[in-house]
Amino acid sequence: MDFTLTSEQELLRDSVRALLARECPTSLLRAHIDDLGAGEPLWAQLREFAALGTGATVDLCLVMEQLGYVAAPSPFFAITCLYAPVLAAIGESDLDAVLAGEATGTVALAGADGAWHANAESAKTFVPDAATVDLVAAIDANRAVTLLAAPPVRRIETLDTTRQLYDVETGVPGTAAGVISHDALSGVLERATVALAAEMVGTARRLFDMSLAYATKRVQFGVPIGSFQAIQHKLADMSLDVERAWSAVYYAAMTIDAVADDRHRATHAAKASAGEAATRAAKDGVQIHGGIGFTWEHDLQFFIRRAYGAEALLGPTGWHHDRLADLLM
Amino acid sequence: MHLAWGPDEEAFRAELLAFLDEHTPMEARTRRDFQGCEDGEVIPAWSRAWQATLFDHGWMIPGYPPELGGRDATPVQTLVYLEEMAARGIPRSMHFPGYAIVAPTLLEHGTDEQRALVPAAIRGDTVWCIGMSEPNAGSDLAGLTTRAELDGDDFVVNGQKVWTSYATVAEKCCCYVRTDPHVPKHKGISLLVVDMDTPGIEVRPLRHITGVADFAEVFFTDVRVPRTNLVGAPNDGWRLTQGSLAHERAGLWVEGVARLEQAITGLIDLAHRRGVAGDPVVRRKIAEASSRATSLRALGYKGITSFARQGASPEHSYMKLATSEAGKACFELGMEIQGAYGSVVDEERGEEAGRWALGFLISFANTIAGGTSEIQRNIIAQRVLGLPRS
Ligand SMILES: Cc1cc2nc3c(=O)[nH]c(=O)nc-3n(C[C@H](O)[C@H](O)[C@H](O)COP(=O)(O)OP(=O)(O)OC[C@H]3O[C@@H](n4cnc5c(N)ncnc54)[C@H](O)[C@@H]3O)c2cc1C
Repeated sequence: MDFTLTSEQELLRDSVRALLARECPTSLLRAHIDDLGAGEPLWAQLREFAALGTGATVDLCLVMEQLGYVAAPSPFFAITCLYAPVLAAIGESDLDAVLAGEATGTVALAGADGAWHANAESAKTFVPDAATVDLVAAIDANRAVTLLAAPPVRRIETLDTTRQLYDVETGVPGTAAGVISHDALSGVLERATVALAAEMVGTARRLFDMSLAYATKRVQFGVPIGSFQAIQHKLADMSLDVERAWSAVYYAAMTIDAVADDRHRATHAAKASAGEAATRAAKDGVQIHGGIGFTWEHDLQFFIRRAYGAEALLGPTGWHHDRLADLLM
Repeated sequence: MHLAWGPDEEAFRAELLAFLDEHTPMEARTRRDFQGCEDGEVIPAWSRAWQATLFDHGWMIPGYPPELGGRDATPVQTLVYLEEMAARGIPRSMHFPGYAIVAPTLLEHGTDEQRALVPAAIRGDTVWCIGMSEPNAGSDLAGLTTRAELDGDDFVVNGQKVWTSYATVAEKCCCYVRTDPHVPKHKGISLLVVDMDTPGIEVRPLRHITGVADFAEVFFTDVRVPRTNLVGAPNDGWRLTQGSLAHERAGLWVEGVARLEQAITGLIDLAHRRGVAGDPVVRRKIAEASSRATSLRALGYKGITSFARQGASPEHSYMKLATSEAGKACFELGMEIQGAYGSVVDEERGEEAGRWALGFLISFANTIAGGTSEIQRNIIAQRVLGLPRS
C-alpha cells in the first residue's frame, strides 16, 4: 500500500504543470469567454497526452488535476475520459488515431434530464466540446454507438465560461460503430467521474492557493487578514477538505486500476468529496477576497465558475451521496 | 501508487492474527464502543493482564525493540497492527498516558534512572497520569501556575491540576510546573516525575458528563519532590509537552477512523431496525458520513506512506480534527434516527442501551481533550499553512 507518486508519475505531473503554466495563463481563460477557438493552440500541446485515453486512471487523474488547477478550456476531458474509452470498449479502429492525438471526439449520452444513462431521446444534452471535435459518439437506448460528423449543435451557456457544453441532435445519419455493454459503459463513466473529481481537486487547490496568498498579503487593521482567526479557520477547513478530496480521488483511481471491489463506492466518495472541497473553496475563497473577489477583473471568478460547472457535471455531490447510500444500505 | 500490501506486511499481519486468535481475552473481544459510561474499575484486571501479555510477546508497541514491548516493526507494519486492532475493537490498554506519552518523553529526555521506569510504564505495571491542565490553563497550557521551588535537594510543589485522567488510580504523575515565574511564560516551565503517594497530594474525583467519575482534580500542598525527578533541563519543560510516540503519531488516526466506520455500520443497522432505511434524508446523511470516512482513511494512508518515506507528514494534523468532529456527527445522527427515542438511555426502552445518546456525550472528549478542535485549526493555519499568529 503506497500513496506516494512514483518518479514517472511525478515527472508526468511536473511536465504537465510546466506546460500549463506556460500555455494556459488566465488571459487565455479571458479570451475564451468570447472566442471559443481560443483553446485550440493549447490542445495542440496537450495532444501528446491523448494516449492516456486508455491509460492508468491514476495517471489520467494527475493530468486532470493540473488542468483543473488552471481551469483549462480544452477537449482533453471529452477525448480521453469519454470518447477514447468508448471507442476502446467497442473495438473501434479509429482509436489509434485518437490515442495518437490525431483524431478527436466526444460522447453524447444524457437526455433532457441531464443524467448520464442510456435513453431513447435523440436530443442529447451536456455533450462536452461537441462543436470543436471531429466526431460525436452518440449512444442510444440499446447502447448502440453511432459516430456523427458535424451533427446540429447548440451551446448550453452555463456559469462556467471555461467549459463548452452542447445540446446535440443525434437523429441524423452517421456510422454505426458497435454496441457498448452495460458494464463497459458503467466502467467508462466511473473512470470519467473520478477523473473529473481529480480536475475539481485541482480547481479547489487553486482557489485555496489564491486565498491563502491573498490572506498573507492583504492588510487590514494594521495586520495581514490571515492573522484573524475567522480567516485562519476558514483556510484550515478549506485545506482539510482539499487534502481529504485528493486522497479520496487517488484512492478511487487506484481501486479502478486494480478492479477492486470497493471501486463503485470509492467513485461516489471521490466525486462527493471533490464536490464538497471545490464548492467550499469557491465560497470561502470569494469571502476571503472581499470586494475584489466579486469583480469581473479578478481571476478568481474563473475558478469559482469552473468549480460549480464541474460540480453539476456527471452528478452533483448529493446525487453521489444518494448512489453511495444505495450501495451501502 | 498502489493499494496492495507487500509480502512483509502480509507476513506481519498473519503473525499478528495468529497471536490475537490465541491470546485475546473475551473481555477485549466484546468491548462496546461507548465504554466509559458505567461505574466500575477504571483499569479492569483483565486489561492489566492483557497489556502485559502484549508486551511480553512484542505486540504492545511493535515499532519499539523487544525490551520495550515491541519487535522493531516498520511504520507501515505498525499501520497494519493499528488497523487490525482497531478493526476488531481490541484495546491495547485501558490507560494510555504511560505507554503513549510518558514512555517516549522519558526515553528522549530522561536520565538513566528515569528511563528505567519506561518498561513498566509500557507494560502497564505502573499507572501514570499527566498533570498539564489547570483551572486557568487549558488551551493556554503555558499559562500554568502550579509552582515548584527548590529547597535543598527537593522541589516543593504547590498548586492545582484539573481534568487529570487516571489520577484516582495512578502511581506516578508527569507533572508540568512553573519553576521560574519571572521569565516569559513558555520559558519558566519544568517537568517533574511525582509519586502520587507523596504527602501533600490530594486527589478529588470529578464525574464526567455521563455521570461517571473518570478524571480528577489534584491538589498539591508543600509536596516535596526529589530534585533528581526533574526531566530534562530546568525551565525546558515546554519543549517536552510535545512528547508522543513519534513513529506512531502518523497512525494515531487509525482508531478515530475505525470508530467512525463502526458507527456508520451501526447507523445502517439502526436505520433498518427503526424502519427509516428508505428515508432519503437519513440515507443521504449516512452516505455523507461514509464518504467522509472513506476520504479520511485515504488521507491517513497518504500521511503514513509519506511519513514512511520522508519521516514527516502534515496529514496527521488534519486527522484529529476531522475524525473527532465526524464522530460526533455520527452519534448525533444515531439519536436523530430514533426520533422520539433519540435521548432514551433506558436499557428496557431505548436502542442498544443508549449507545447513540451516551456515545454522543462521550464524543466531546475527542473534540476537547488533547487540544480542542479550535486549537487544531489554529495549528493547521499557523504550522501547516504558515499563516501569521494573531
Ligand atoms: C475527557 C478529558 C480528559 C482529559 N484528560 C486530561 C489529562 O489527563 N491531563 C490533563 O492535563 N488534561 C486533561 N484534559 C484537559 C484538556 O486538555 C483541556 O480540557 C483542553 O486542553 C481544553 O482546555 P480547557 O478545558 O481549559 O478549555 P479552554 O481552553 O478554556 O477552552 C474553552 C473554549 O475556548 C476555545 N479556545 C481557547 N483558546 C482558544 C484560541 N486560542 N483560539 C480559539 N479558541 C480558543 C476552546 O477551543 C474552547 O472551545 C482532559 C479533558 C477531557 C475532556
